[in-house]
Amino acid sequence: MVAQKITIEPVTRIEGHAKITIRMKDDGNVDHAYLHINEFRGFEKFCEGRMVFEMPMITPRICGICPVSHHLAAAKAGDDLLSCPPPRPASLLRELMHMGQIIQSHGMHFFELAGPDLLLGFDADPAIRNVVGLIQTAPDIAVKAVQLRKFGQDIIFRLGGRRVHPVFAIPGGVNKALDTANRDAILAGIDDALATTQLGIQIIRDWAEKNMEDIQKFGVFPTGYLGLVTPNNSLELYDGDIRLVDKDGKQLEKFDGRNYLDYIAEHVESWSYLKFPYYKKMGYPQGVYRVGPLGRLNAVDQIDTPLANEEFKRYRAINNGAPIENTLYFHYARLIETLFAVEKVKVLLEDEDIMSTDILNTRQTNKGEGVGIIEAPRGTLFHHYKADANGKLTKVNLIVATGNNNWAMCEAVDSVAKTYINGNEIREGLLNRVEAAVRAHDPCLSCSTHAVGQMPMVVEIVDQQGNLMQSLSRNVNE
Amino acid sequence: MITLTIDGKQVEAKEGMTVLEAAKASGIHIPTLCHHPSLTPYGGCRLCLVEIEGARTLQPSCTMPAGNGMVIKTNTETVRTTRKFVLDMIFSERNHFCPYCEVSGGDCELQKSAYEQGMTHWSFQPNWIPFEVDASHPYIIMDQNRCILCRRCVRACAELVGNSTLGFEERGAKSQLIADLAVPLGESSCISCGTCVQVCPTGSLIDRWSAYRGLEKDVESHPTICVGCSIGCNIDVQTRNNSIVRIYGDWDGGVNGGVICKVGRFYPMTDQRERITSPMMRVDGQLKKVSWEEALEAIAKKLQPLAGKDGDGMAAVASTRLSTESLHLFKNIFKDGLKSSMVTTTEQGVNTSIFSKVAEQLGKPFEAKLDDVEKADLFIVVGADIVNEHEVIGFFVKRARLENSALYLVDQSTNSLENLADGVLRAESYGEIAKGIKAAMVKLGLAEDPSIQPDALLAEAVKATEISDEVFMKAAYAFASAQQPAIIMGSSVSEMQCIKEWVSLSEMIKGSMVTLKGGANSLAAAQYNLDTALKVNGHQAAFIALGDEDPTEKFNALFEKVSFLAVQATYVSRLSARADVVLPVQNWAEQNGHYLNSDGRLQESIAAITGPAYAWSNQQVLESLAKKLGVEAKSDWNAELHNRQAMVTIQ
Amino acid sequence: MTKPKISSDWMAGCSGCHMSLLDIDERIIKVAELADIRATPITDLKEPDEDGVAVGILEGGVNNTANEEQAHRMRSRCKILVALGDCAVFGGVPAMRNYFTLEESLRRAYIETESTDSEGKIPDDPELCVPTRVRALHEVVPVDLFVPGCPPDPDVIFYVLSELAQGRMPEIKEDMLHWH
Repeated sequence: MVAQKITIEPVTRIEGHAKITIRMKDDGNVDHAYLHINEFRGFEKFCEGRMVFEMPMITPRICGICPVSHHLAAAKAGDDLLSCPPPRPASLLRELMHMGQIIQSHGMHFFELAGPDLLLGFDADPAIRNVVGLIQTAPDIAVKAVQLRKFGQDIIFRLGGRRVHPVFAIPGGVNKALDTANRDAILAGIDDALATTQLGIQIIRDWAEKNMEDIQKFGVFPTGYLGLVTPNNSLELYDGDIRLVDKDGKQLEKFDGRNYLDYIAEHVESWSYLKFPYYKKMGYPQGVYRVGPLGRLNAVDQIDTPLANEEFKRYRAINNGAPIENTLYFHYARLIETLFAVEKVKVLLEDEDIMSTDILNTRQTNKGEGVGIIEAPRGTLFHHYKADANGKLTKVNLIVATGNNNWAMCEAVDSVAKTYINGNEIREGLLNRVEAAVRAHDPCLSCSTHAVGQMPMVVEIVDQQGNLMQSLSRNVNE
Repeated sequence: MITLTIDGKQVEAKEGMTVLEAAKASGIHIPTLCHHPSLTPYGGCRLCLVEIEGARTLQPSCTMPAGNGMVIKTNTETVRTTRKFVLDMIFSERNHFCPYCEVSGGDCELQKSAYEQGMTHWSFQPNWIPFEVDASHPYIIMDQNRCILCRRCVRACAELVGNSTLGFEERGAKSQLIADLAVPLGESSCISCGTCVQVCPTGSLIDRWSAYRGLEKDVESHPTICVGCSIGCNIDVQTRNNSIVRIYGDWDGGVNGGVICKVGRFYPMTDQRERITSPMMRVDGQLKKVSWEEALEAIAKKLQPLAGKDGDGMAAVASTRLSTESLHLFKNIFKDGLKSSMVTTTEQGVNTSIFSKVAEQLGKPFEAKLDDVEKADLFIVVGADIVNEHEVIGFFVKRARLENSALYLVDQSTNSLENLADGVLRAESYGEIAKGIKAAMVKLGLAEDPSIQPDALLAEAVKATEISDEVFMKAAYAFASAQQPAIIMGSSVSEMQCIKEWVSLSEMIKGSMVTLKGGANSLAAAQYNLDTALKVNGHQAAFIALGDEDPTEKFNALFEKVSFLAVQATYVSRLSARADVVLPVQNWAEQNGHYLNSDGRLQESIAAITGPAYAWSNQQVLESLAKKLGVEAKSDWNAELHNRQAMVTIQ
Repeated sequence: MTKPKISSDWMAGCSGCHMSLLDIDERIIKVAELADIRATPITDLKEPDEDGVAVGILEGGVNNTANEEQAHRMRSRCKILVALGDCAVFGGVPAMRNYFTLEESLRRAYIETESTDSEGKIPDDPELCVPTRVRALHEVVPVDLFVPGCPPDPDVIFYVLSELAQGRMPEIKEDMLHWH
């Protein structure tokens, strides 16, 4: 008897709600695997009627891991809509908060969400394959991981008064300047943060060496790659133009993100609440592209901080300069970005403008429409608002980071399922691998569907008549 | 005094106090929401309910008069449960989203009340029927979703400001705050004073320019004086990181008691004028940046040879927004030192000089204090617009209407308050009107004045003004029957004799008379004799200590033919663009100084923020200039305020 | 003595409350010592133990059929149910969706948005859950403890966890009850 459909519910150690169904062929191989993103909240509708300047406080509630991305993208959209570009010190401060977020989010993902797979193994006992298990088996690393996250969160707290959903950026700038006490406190933590990040890099490189076979067959496929860049195409996470390169790394487009609608469209599938962004000129699905660490590091030519750049060169050499396609290399790319962010914190704090109190431009002219773009930890984030003459929102459009990776995640799930699953034998560890395909993207599914969810993990194997043949659940007591 | 028992404690209270006031006076805390010390008690929110022995139900302590022998319990199980229930009901009525609200985290009295009662959640969910946000107003956002129907704003708009724009429509669960007859706030009769924003306990009424910039716990408070006009309201300028976040009226302010107008509250928040960022000098037709030394040197070199010259010498003009110290030093330099014959202010004495002369002729002050005006039961507004300028006096007049005060307007043309007036006396000659009323009063036996021939005088007045004798007599009755009449006179009254008639009428009706004056230090300028009309005729040089004032085109035009123009100013203007030397100075919020308000009160304006490094204070500029010119700066600015008979008693 | 079991899950929230939980930093080690941390969104157990846990924690409101199942399941498997954060306590920011009809919200997201291509449609695959009106957790199941905040303060969360882990019912009041 061969299973008709395998269901994995929920995908754990990700942010958000996902469910995977694997449709089987008669010969026991995988026909197709689907990643269903299973929730929807509706920010694009219910923000209508609120004020433009409230969006930096409302939209962070899309996501509690990367609220700062929304906070800043909303402020930037407000800057654009109200024609009030922030003074340089305010931009530096916003970027500093953003680096704090990159560090805490990437750090948490590598060590606490993905880490258990890498450090304890895909096939380890699910009961301990988590951050608590890490605390018990590798306490040193666990403590360092907690401290790295704390370093990032602390930056956010010092600037915005809270770690999650800070109150800091408003259209035209920010509401609080940096004082020397806070600056010095942050600087004092940089060395440890660098060390922990380097430790993570060592872990992933060692792991890669030992698991090269998996890396080569685990979700490896071509796509385009997209991210913000500096004028000379270096990695840029706060502000810049958007660069899209093709599967060979050749530039297809470089544009001001405010014109994103000329280049990007979203496709809807009936089986997922998450839409599928793609490059319009190439159509769907030929025009799909990846974002986030893997996508960004394929779209840039260098990184302008030294330690990260050194690691970047080593990383890009893996495929002889051509883009890296392997899903599992997301983890390596993620740490390189973390290194960049920690170095960038130091660069920003040593810029004397960041201590200035010239932090708000109150000269506003309502243009009626504005776009704010930023690189969230998981990818390019677009906030697009239309408002009436009084500054009340009439239309809101969001393309949220992880959403850009939707097609790739689905492809990775399908690819990994086909590589590792045969209908006659299903082990828990292989289910975990399919989930790991999603996990590598560090998806923020709350964000991407402007919604969140979570479901229990049960695997049911049914025969052609739909009779239950086998039921596997992850640690659900029988 | 009466005695009552609150929570087992014997408490003394004054007759007429409410239970809430009696409790507060003896240190017992009863939570409230709709209550506000500056507004009449309303009893709408029910949070202040207490147990009163003998009463069938719990009673609102904010409206319940304290009675001798009352036994009150404020903290029983019943009372505590009821408070939570009241708050539950309030939260269930509208849509309260604390997470992103501008006042959440310390400035929301509703949130604080809930925490005080130990509430971790609401028992009843709202029905989530949305209310539209009214964002039509340039300063004030009205979000009905957060309204708790406490009506503080309605009371403030009526009782503190007398505008009565805000009201309520519908009843019960459909009750809703509205502006006028339910029009968007931005299209209503709202005068943008912002008092409603200051009293709103939640984030329902907020000021869009302060949103998210800092809660009260984040900002620094700077009690100071508004320099928008001669009233000199007491304000609190709240700052964060050296930037003004919001401006509040000071509830304890002796001048204004907490109310301020849009000029003081909102204009500074939206001031986008470009600043002058360096001393500059005209070189080859272009203004170039120079050092302070060079600029001051150039001015001194130009002015010194003109000392003592008359019509072909120098003219010097200062803004009445400058402090007394600076106006005094300005006078030292140009009048006493350089002996210019054309030294005055941008106001040119139009608001004060004739009144100063009247006082000098009378040999005594004839004006009363603003406090007297505030308590009046009859307002006679003569030749003044108190809707578009000196608005806070307008608030006193309009709000007194709720106490059934009367309003008479005496004006040559249409006055904005006509729809509120009990009578309007319109004629060219204000003096004749005064005479007519005096005559009518004596004729009717309402006053005695042997120097007046009532019939003849009345007939003359009727002929001169074309106002009938019935109208005069009606006015006379109204004026005579008032317990505390007040006369408010504006600067359009410009004839000495006419003013004296009104002073005499004021004495006849035992009234309080005030004149409006003009800018913040208008009276100080008058006291320093800086109140002449500006005539620029052949003057070779002019020095304008403009400060942060905005010069009018008419003013700028006066200096077209002056060959050397030096301007000391904060903001770029057509005048500064034309100048030969420009000196950048701080604005009102960045420097200290004294101000003599319109009823003679001497107050200090204290800097709330540090100005940019490139700007000096007005005082510093004048001191340096004095030094360069070799003029001795005399420091007795306070004493000199008393050198001249003023129209009001000066502090 | 066996450690009490704690399980958590998230529904229509943003995961910020769980992030605030992680913001207890090194104190998580203390919590792991006091309690047996079972299924949570960041551990690999997929459901709260069928034979029950001492403490169930739910973040997020209930805005679809899947959430309803989660809420009922957690309620039936735990002794003390904690509503963590404003979304669970009253619906939170996502409750603003109740201002509109579900149809309006879905149409906006999947058909009308400026970037959605001409083939937009509302997803309706049977594998997907169905959106419903947004509700607070206590509108669906009885709740034993409410921890308000968006998100609640990490110190408050640590206090709540350590009290519950030691068999005591935490009282969130005075210093603990504040907007942080």
